[in-house]
Amino acid sequence: MADLIRINQFTKHYVMGETIVRALDGVNITIKEGEFISITGASGSGKSTLMHLLGCLDRPSAGEYWLDGDLVSHMSDKQLAIVRNKKIGFVFQTFNLIQRTTAVDNVSVPLFYARQARVKEPSLRALERVGLGHRAYHTPSEMSGGERQRVAIARAIVAEPKIILADEPTGNLDSRTGEQIMQIFHELNRAGVTVIIVTHEMAVAVQAQRVIAMRDGRIIEDGGIDDAFRARMLGQERTAASLPERSPPMARPLQV
Amino acid sequence: MFFVRIMFMALRSLTIHPLRSVLATLGVLIGVGAVVAAMAILEGMSSRMREGFASMGSNKLFVMPPQQRRGGRVVGNFDTLKIDDAWAIAKECPSLKNVMPQVALNGTVKFLSKNTTASVLGATDAYTEINSHRIVEGSFFEKADIQGQSNVAVLGAKVKKDLFGGRPAIGEKVKVMTPLGGRQFTVVGVMEEKGNVAFTNVDEQVIIPITTAMEKVYGLKSIAAIVAEAVSGADKDIEKAKEEIKKVLRQRHKIRAGQQDDFAVQSQKEFVEQFATFTNIVGVVLFSIAGISLVVGGIGIMNIMLVSVTERTREIGVRMAMGAQRADVLKQFLVEASIISFFGGSIGVAMGYGLATTIERMTRVFETITTTGSVIMALSMATCVGIVSGLYPAWKASRLDPVEALRYE
Repeated sequence: MADLIRINQFTKHYVMGETIVRALDGVNITIKEGEFISITGASGSGKSTLMHLLGCLDRPSAGEYWLDGDLVSHMSDKQLAIVRNKKIGFVFQTFNLIQRTTAVDNVSVPLFYARQARVKEPSLRALERVGLGHRAYHTPSEMSGGERQRVAIARAIVAEPKIILADEPTGNLDSRTGEQIMQIFHELNRAGVTVIIVTHEMAVAVQAQRVIAMRDGRIIEDGGIDDAFRARMLGQERTAASLPERSPPMARPLQV
Repeated sequence: MFFVRIMFMALRSLTIHPLRSVLATLGVLIGVGAVVAAMAILEGMSSRMREGFASMGSNKLFVMPPQQRRGGRVVGNFDTLKIDDAWAIAKECPSLKNVMPQVALNGTVKFLSKNTTASVLGATDAYTEINSHRIVEGSFFEKADIQGQSNVAVLGAKVKKDLFGGRPAIGEKVKVMTPLGGRQFTVVGVMEEKGNVAFTNVDEQVIIPITTAMEKVYGLKSIAAIVAEAVSGADKDIEKAKEEIKKVLRQRHKIRAGQQDDFAVQSQKEFVEQFATFTNIVGVVLFSIAGISLVVGGIGIMNIMLVSVTERTREIGVRMAMGAQRADVLKQFLVEASIISFFGGSIGVAMGYGLATTIERMTRVFETITTTGSVIMALSMATCVGIVSGLYPAWKASRLDPVEALRYE
């Protein structure tokens, strides 16, 4: 299949006072259409920065980013907004739904910015795809965490983007709900959508076909997942877990 | 279409925080209310004045003694103007066709057990012609009554109605009481109903010969004014008549060249001009006050919008991630600010109208007039205030970095 994403020598530097932080340091990635990828690494490894750049929310300090045949790394703010609108669906750890606004209205936000005239039917269809057709007119405060995340996924897919970019999508959910959410990602992937999940949880990461592991702004592992790899990654996490490293409060316990 | 949807979206955002939206709009509401009320009062006042001046007739001239001031305050008029001045003017000024000296005091008129308040006007037989005020019963008093200081009176329509109802009044005796004295008068005539002429309700007048008023009732040595009519309303004739009057009076009052007049001659036109200047000043003052409150209102909106932008930073980030362009975010917040101020303006218009009506009812001095023009102006001013004060917060929102905004707690 064709390359959907090609990243060439991606570098992102931040100036913090006197020091330069190298959040990304010469990263090369090629992603084909229809892949299911997880990007993993400890906090500070550069995975969030990578996600922001992949999501066209930010521009690299150096390097090139080809997305679906377009060189997006040199686009204007307005062009990037259009690319995000048409090609990328975001799912966030904290759902980021607009409060006091019904599910169907939340889902229609990308269509609204696409200046699409008919927003209701596609939004309802997207909600049905994530199994929430019956909750379309409820507001986020009336929903459980899992339901909220499903609304967020419906919002991400409503404009039929090529890529779903999920940042710790199960981070605020209990393990069972988290698995349901992962199930939805798998279904979307089977339907042809490229799914990229950024997570520090190995149990989530290993569900992908391919894992990109990062440390200190560089890729340290990039490969398909087989059982040996899975075992190795989970082993690493166990060692990592024994270190006094900060882990999010709602991170779920490992299940092997 | 997109813009209409932005408006709906903005409306929804505003209804999420109804109290905050109302507070934000309070300043504009009060400002617009003040503008509308001020304009209604000013317009009512001007229209009343315009009618008054129009009813005077354009060829009128008024001779008055200078105002007496104490500590800057007008306490009365000097007594430089005598009745003989009027007779001299009538005789020596060919550019005038009617000349009438007058004195007036408020008083009460009594007939048997009934009494009513009235303005007691001492005038001459020139009254009917000068004020285009016809007599409907009996006749007006004549020159002989003035010379002979007769105790005769002509009643205004309302005075007649109050005292006599439908019964005939001619020949009856009424008692006229003023703060300076009272006396019995025989009713010789009744005037037609006319309403206001030159800011006086002539229906509430009792007219008596000026000589009688001065000598027998008030004991006055000087008169309040001389009203005269030029032969025509043309500027040339008015000017000529004015010069003639000045000449006669300066001579009679023995004023030497270079000394100031001890009287003032003003034409109806000059009154109109003076009044226009006055309404302009009042207008400027009222609008300055209204303008200040609109500025304060604008600051209120800006304040609330800035709070709102900060509070919704993450929402802005999400919208940007979903494909909102910077211009879309800018529009959203600008539209929110405009809607706030437009609604505030609308309520302000209603309240301003209510305020003007209340003032009208309470003072009963004049009608207030709320014009469509003033409503449209107030609303567009409000919307402009909204746009201007929303500009900075909206710009701030649109310049947010999506990554930072998404991370905002």
